[in-house]
Amino acid sequence: MITLFINGHARQVKAAPDTPLLYVLRGELNVMTPKFGCGLAQCGACSVLVDGEEVRACIYPIIALEGKQITTVDGLPARWQQQRSLPNAPDRLHPVQQAWIDEQVPQCGICQYGMMIKATELLEKNPSPSDEDINHAMTVSGPSAHLCRCGSYAAIKDGIHRAAAIIKGAELITTNTVEG
Amino acid sequence: MNIEQNDNEETQSVGEYLIYGAKLSRRAFLGGSGALIASLALDPKLAFAAANGSQPTSLDAAKPASWIEIHADNTALIRTGKCDFGQSSIFTAYRQIVAEELSMPVANITNVVWGDTDVTPDGGGTFGLLRTNVQNLRKVAAYIREAVLTLAAEKFAVAKDSLKIKEGVIQAGNHTISYGELLANQNWSLSIPVRGELTSFMGIVVTGEPPMKPVSEYTIIGQPLKNPIVRPKVAGDNIWVGDVKLPGMLHARVIHPETLGSTLLKAGPLDKTLFANSQIVTINNLLAVVSSDEWEAVQAARSVEAKTQWSDWQGIPTTSTGLQQFLHDKPSWDDVPDMQSRSSKGDISLPVAKSHSAEYFMPYYKHAPIGPMVSVAEVKDGKVVVHTHSQNPQFLRMAIAKMLKQPEADVIIKTYIGPGHFGRSNGGNAGSEDEAALLAVKLGVPVRVQWMRHDDMQWSTNSSAMLSQISIGLDEQGRIATYQAVHSGPPMQDDRPIGAILAGKDTILPPTPDNPSFLHGLGIFIADTWVYGSVENIAETGRGMYQLGQQESPINVGIRDHSMRTPIQFQQNFPRETAMSEAAALAGMDAIDFRLAHITEPRFKAILERLKIEADWDTRPSPSPQARANGSEPALGRGVSIMLRDNGYWACAAHIAIIPDTGEVKVERITLVSDTGIVVNPLQLKRQAEAGCIMGVSQALHEEVSFDNSKLTCTDWQSYPILKMAEVPKIKVVIAPDKTATMYGQGSESANALASSAIAGAFYDATGKAIRRLPLKPDYVKKALSA
Ligand code: FES
Ligand code: FES
Repeated sequence: MITLFINGHARQVKAAPDTPLLYVLRGELNVMTPKFGCGLAQCGACSVLVDGEEVRACIYPIIALEGKQITTVDGLPARWQQQRSLPNAPDRLHPVQQAWIDEQVPQCGICQYGMMIKATELLEKNPSPSDEDINHAMTVSGPSAHLCRCGSYAAIKDGIHRAAAIIKGAELITTNTVEG
Repeated sequence: MNIEQNDNEETQSVGEYLIYGAKLSRRAFLGGSGALIASLALDPKLAFAAANGSQPTSLDAAKPASWIEIHADNTALIRTGKCDFGQSSIFTAYRQIVAEELSMPVANITNVVWGDTDVTPDGGGTFGLLRTNVQNLRKVAAYIREAVLTLAAEKFAVAKDSLKIKEGVIQAGNHTISYGELLANQNWSLSIPVRGELTSFMGIVVTGEPPMKPVSEYTIIGQPLKNPIVRPKVAGDNIWVGDVKLPGMLHARVIHPETLGSTLLKAGPLDKTLFANSQIVTINNLLAVVSSDEWEAVQAARSVEAKTQWSDWQGIPTTSTGLQQFLHDKPSWDDVPDMQSRSSKGDISLPVAKSHSAEYFMPYYKHAPIGPMVSVAEVKDGKVVVHTHSQNPQFLRMAIAKMLKQPEADVIIKTYIGPGHFGRSNGGNAGSEDEAALLAVKLGVPVRVQWMRHDDMQWSTNSSAMLSQISIGLDEQGRIATYQAVHSGPPMQDDRPIGAILAGKDTILPPTPDNPSFLHGLGIFIADTWVYGSVENIAETGRGMYQLGQQESPINVGIRDHSMRTPIQFQQNFPRETAMSEAAALAGMDAIDFRLAHITEPRFKAILERLKIEADWDTRPSPSPQARANGSEPALGRGVSIMLRDNGYWACAAHIAIIPDTGEVKVERITLVSDTGIVVNPLQLKRQAEAGCIMGVSQALHEEVSFDNSKLTCTDWQSYPILKMAEVPKIKVVIAPDKTATMYGQGSESANALASSAIAGAFYDATGKAIRRLPLKPDYVKKALSA
């Protein structure tokens, strides 16, 4: 049995050691936010953070992940809470998730679990990314570019800038929107 | 208190009103919670349930509670058979429109039930959402409001037209009462007139003409309401179609044939020592491997596939590299009669001073959702239940019932959120539902069929290719005297599920010349609405053909096509608008001025004038004075395109840079100006337009389906690349609605189609060379520059 640390919890896993993480997360552990997009490390829909680095769960065998800290979008609120020593709040969201709502980033949303992971990785390293930094992170920094069929890229850029502002606690640009 | 159906209760009619064609009856209150009860359709023949003698859904479209339920606390629930693929209209615009018609706060509409054959009333495909479909809910809301006003007038003994409704509360002089309070402890029956057939392509339509709230009184429509399902989506709280798990469910991988025309000779062996939980299933040419463990299913399918033998087939009469020439040389186009546009008129053979004539070409595109097709099917209480993300659940129900030879009432389709497809990418279904249903029925357990990336690339449907000949004749003054377009290519609508075909089961007919369904014929109609009102002589012709390889394939499967975004209109707008920019240059005029000179519709004029300002457009003829077709420094240019779609007027300007020596094209910025009439939700419209436009840039620069004589050869994101973040231009979306418009804005897909033709116009401006085929890949660009 392999032990994986998923979103702060140790989980015992029965799957064979060469099983890609994605199948273990979704099949055995019911962690459903990483999505299957290609299985080829070409799209980023399955991305998770492993010790703060973006990794493609669709090809990464669990044997290589023993003892490492794995974070999925489900675990982003707790990650944020822990980083900032915030009190536990059940409906807390990570600033990236909040920014995704504020900026209405998703169209269909299937790519956004990977996009939010990549955005979190970027913002943890670079709290004030420029457009160029975002382009670099989303296009060339990982095993492949993070792909969005719906074309939400411009919204993602807006979302990352807004998340950076939330993280800094900066005065937010108020937009003329109404809660849905 | 609910407005709910209550058929069985014995009630006695004590009052009756006719509400604009809907019948409102008062009945003796027999206790219970009280309700506005619906009981009968005005014309029972027209209601699906009556026509078929069975109840295919638990709802009756003639009952208002099937569409809208108003609760005791004055909150409401709405139901629609339409689906959502992320554009949010059913969660935002639909709620706004219903709330507006009821004069109820939009926040009171707390629930939207959608896309489920069993619990939604209307059916029909997910298209025309704001143009046609929402009129169903809007009318039901208007009927309910009028019924409630009638009751309130009686209760307070005042004239109906003295009543006002504000924030969901009816005001009658000094009295106020909410919808909920008014209906409490009473029994009412309201029947809504409907027509249509539930599982037909268009579904059920609410008829009659209840009065609609005047546009001048709108307060909710026009607000930038956020999409309420974004929060659960980003929090990970939704169940996506791929997340559905059922007890005892098996994971299947379908091993699709080697070619589009192969038949199964021998399935490869399954090594039980390696794959103990796996099993091979074959139904005719449908070959699958199932396992209780998903990763085992993937590996087992790979190993079986490697040794599986298929018959060889090389029947596609051309390849992707030869396709344009093939269509050009095709000796006859008499598979099906030509179609003329309604705008065709006058005499295009008139002598002209100058003319521009050229051939344009659009390749096949993939819908290419980021998540490949996935669905789950089960047999439950004698019914086949399919969990999917269909765009037309009732039509899919029909297809599954036909395939299984079961009554439609015994098939239930449940729709979940799923990846954006932008059209139906595997027939009327979203894909794999038919395979899941066949396997679930055969094995007697729930089966989940997840397509792999290559299955999706090679076996989903495609957006049709098209070859267009355009001739534009100019008079002495440089005005268009004649316009001729001949658009030729395969048709768009192959609605047959692929698994059903492979399994040799019943499907609707393939595209054929004599197909009784207009939509499923071979004809190419003119989908791009003519917009240059001052042109006198126009001939637009569509020429259709069989789908490529379809007649040659022993299993009747060619390169299957299905609608994508602005189906066929894109294929016809690209050549028209690209040619218009070239004709403007021939006339020595600026590309926007040339369009303005031929447009008669003031709304189009207004957005083109606005585009000049918003895009910082330098008015001058093309090509640019700095135009170059060689060198390693960027050549810069700008182009324009326009489209009329679903009563929405759209104009687009693209600014691009080309490195002639490498053939590299960079789109630097795009400006979109739209007048879509009444804008229901400007925030969502802006995001839709922006995203659609980015997808359009992707199609313009990168996308083309590759195929050889046997099969599609694009299998992944390397062989079918799409746009990446670093390539995204700056996008400016300007929503400039005509304030006098009376129709709801729709047609944001125009933003998707317009990018290509604006970019092609900019290419000509930058280089002085025309590019007349998509995509603008370096190879094609270099060829165009050396022409
Ligand atoms: S699913 Fe892992 S990168 Fe596409
Ligand atoms: S939002 Fe649909 S794929 Fe990105």
